[in-house]
Amino acid sequence: MFNRFVKDARKLVIRARETACSGGSPTVEAEHLLLAFTEPRGGALAELLASAGLDREGVDLAIGAENERSLAAVGVSAHEFDLPPLGPRGAEPRFAASAKLALERSMKIAVARGDHRIESGHVLLGVLDASRGTVPRALELAGIDRKDLSSRVEAAMLAGALGDRR
Amino acid sequence: MTGTTYSSSTDPADGLAASVALRRLADRVESAEVERALRDGWSWSEVAEALGVTRQAVHKKHAERMASRGVDLRRRRS
Repeated sequence: MFNRFVKDARKLVIRARETACSGGSPTVEAEHLLLAFTEPRGGALAELLASAGLDREGVDLAIGAENERSLAAVGVSAHEFDLPPLGPRGAEPRFAASAKLALERSMKIAVARGDHRIESGHVLLGVLDASRGTVPRALELAGIDRKDLSSRVEAAMLAGALGDRR
Repeated sequence: MTGTTYSSSTDPADGLAASVALRRLADRVESAEVERALRDGWSWSEVAEALGVTRQAVHKKHAERMASRGVDLRRRRS
């Protein structure tokens, strides 16, 4: 599946898995892909996201807010649980549907644009393109306009500003 | 039932997201309580029975994390 991914896009997928693993998640979800873009020295895309308020802290806060809101819908207060963080588990997390769908969308987006290789920009577009699930809900709560953010990513890709290593 | 905030008027988007968030919360509760039980001297078999799963399943899911958290598992027979 990843043979069309350039080096930086592959690294990003690996980082998403590491992020899931260190957070104790049994699965790699779309939000782990988003988090993987917010590494310090993450390059042009990390800066673009940070300029919209989506640095690591911003994304963490947005995901936390989404979790709180979702639990509140069934009358559960996230604050009432004083639980230790999960921490790393032994097993490698597997890719869940949300992450697989984001990667599939990134490939479709590349095809539609006539691009032969999948770059990290395509992956971010695939993540931002989800209309349902944790990521769009978290971004909405953070006041992010996904469409606007996507067009800024596309503009940066067109300008060749991302400098992905192949 | 009264006093609940959950009702059919809840947006399905919130209701579906709630089930996802509950599953994640349940995982964290399970992990924390398995650790507590093991530290209190429970055997893996007892933990498994309390959770209603097999000993193999609970061991597979939690053993490495418990070891990395310094829960002493050596003296356990099962």
